[in-house]
Amino acid sequence: VKITVELFGQLSPLSPRRQFLDLADHAPVQDAAILLGLNADEIGLITINGVQSEMQDQLTSDCRLCFFPYISGG
Amino acid sequence: MKLLRVDMNQSLVRWESVPPVYERLGGRALIARLLLEEVPPTCDALGPKNKLIFSPGLLGGCGATAAGRLSVGAKSPLTRGAKEANAGGTAGDTLGKLGIKAVVIEGRAPKGNWSILRIRGDSAELLPAGDVPGSGTYRTSDLLQERYGAASTVISIGQAGEMCLGGAGICVTGEAGQRSNHAARGGLGAVMGSKGLKAIVIDKPVGKVVPYADEELFRTAARNFAQKLINDPKLGTKGSQHLYGTASIVAAVNEMGAFPTRNFSNGNFEGSETLRGEYLREVTLSRGGQVGTRCMPGCVIACRNVYMDANSKAIVGTLQFETIALLGSNLGLGDLDEVAQLNRMCNDFGLDTIETGAALGVAIEAGLGKFGDFESISRLLAQVSEGTILGRLIGSGAVATGRVLGIRRVPAAVGQAMPGYDPRSLKGNGVTYATSPQGADHTAGNAFGARKEVNPLGTQGQKELSLKLQIIAAMLDSTGLCLFARPPIIANPQLMLDMLNGRYGWGWAVEDYDRANREVLRTELEFNRRAGLTAADYRIPEYMCDEPLPPHNVTFDVPTSDMASVFEAL
Repeated sequence: VKITVELFGQLSPLSPRRQFLDLADHAPVQDAAILLGLNADEIGLITINGVQSEMQDQLTSDCRLCFFPYISGG
Repeated sequence: MKLLRVDMNQSLVRWESVPPVYERLGGRALIARLLLEEVPPTCDALGPKNKLIFSPGLLGGCGATAAGRLSVGAKSPLTRGAKEANAGGTAGDTLGKLGIKAVVIEGRAPKGNWSILRIRGDSAELLPAGDVPGSGTYRTSDLLQERYGAASTVISIGQAGEMCLGGAGICVTGEAGQRSNHAARGGLGAVMGSKGLKAIVIDKPVGKVVPYADEELFRTAARNFAQKLINDPKLGTKGSQHLYGTASIVAAVNEMGAFPTRNFSNGNFEGSETLRGEYLREVTLSRGGQVGTRCMPGCVIACRNVYMDANSKAIVGTLQFETIALLGSNLGLGDLDEVAQLNRMCNDFGLDTIETGAALGVAIEAGLGKFGDFESISRLLAQVSEGTILGRLIGSGAVATGRVLGIRRVPAAVGQAMPGYDPRSLKGNGVTYATSPQGADHTAGNAFGARKEVNPLGTQGQKELSLKLQIIAAMLDSTGLCLFARPPIIANPQLMLDMLNGRYGWGWAVEDYDRANREVLRTELEFNRRAGLTAADYRIPEYMCDEPLPPHNVTFDVPTSDMASVFEAL
């Protein structure tokens, strides 16, 4: 699957903020995180096409995946 | 501790000992109790029978980090119910150190007879306001600190409060010349204006230390609490709150489709990239501004900023998420410089940026301006300080603006404008907006912080989540704690108990503390019931239940039965 990934806040210094990845079909979010070298302990929120998601959720073709650090509403 | 009562009819002040029944109440809890016992619930919010109450939280003045908020409360001219709004700055800490549990402003001065209340240690007096009325909050703070000392705390209203407009808030100064901490919500600035009180000046206390029942217990807990905040991945020096401020959530709220856009007609703003906390930090630092500054003495979170213009001149300190949402995306503006200018105008006139941003969005929908057009928007806003009819209308808030201009798409609940989370995509906040005795107020129970517990787009579990968050918010607002400081207390309530027991020696257990926090909500709900608020008031606007919100195309569909039963488990 070809996906767009965007990283926010403190996660972005680890790699470019916006990237395009080509992953195996049915790949989970976790595969993208590993490929980007993200530390799972530093990820506070994941969204796929704006919907809150988890590391095990499957990526779909042309989806938009976002990784956020821990953030607090206020 | 003592209460300071100020009779604006007679221009008199008097000190009272705190009655035993109030000893274990502070901030929002004390305000709720005083309102229920002393203010006729059906009174005119801008009349002499309403009372305006300033109260530090239970931990005010103790030296605990992030615990110096000042609560301000009254019957609200917007919600018609009990209202509490709180602000940073030095007032909460100062009043706590002086042993003042509350300042209660009563009655109403003759029209045009403006006063300043000066508090100096154990004495207080009402002084003629002289040439100060007519000034915005920046000039008012400058004049009064020149007159009474740069280290004094100034609590003031701007022109909006003087005109008794429903969108008016109350401004509190902070350390080292800091301005623009606001107890913004609910029209409390209008209540202050109705009393004829332009400002309160509190001299910096010298050599005042609060007594501790068990100082070691308090200090150990306070140190642990501060350390937990420093270690928190969201809040410490490497956390997003400190690095990017409250604007750190712009991207996430936008991505989740809850970012108010063009009068709440979309949850995703195409220009959000230049409103994000990451961008704000970059621009601020490149212009010589500051990030990671504090609103309260000793706060270890430090999430404020000082935003500069392109010539490195400070525009506003601080530019916050709610303001960016309501004066930015909600008005179709994606330029932080423009948002900062509108922010400064609101701060100076003494207006709540949430209420005013929502009112401007409604006015634009009525054709009085253009989304994305800074010039037309700033011209509308400038009319508030000029006192034109249109300016007074916008300054009166979103509901009044919608009613007069014939607009039904008004993002408000219980008479008060919604903050920066559209309830259709963050349904837990919708439950809070429509059921909280405080009206549409994210600080009364913000579900964004608990997004992993419950699916924000689903209806399941939202009422239970909202109730839990509303109880936590009551605790924060009654102890003087900043809402961002909640994680260590939620994880370990014993930290709070040790701080309270160390300060006061109450020997409180978790059940006592939980009961006290729930009682705040019960008291406010009872005041609102007596004031005449019914199920017809506690609701999300009909259009939000019918009109799908892009990009998820969702409506607010939490069942009415859930909304009606939120407090059954209180």
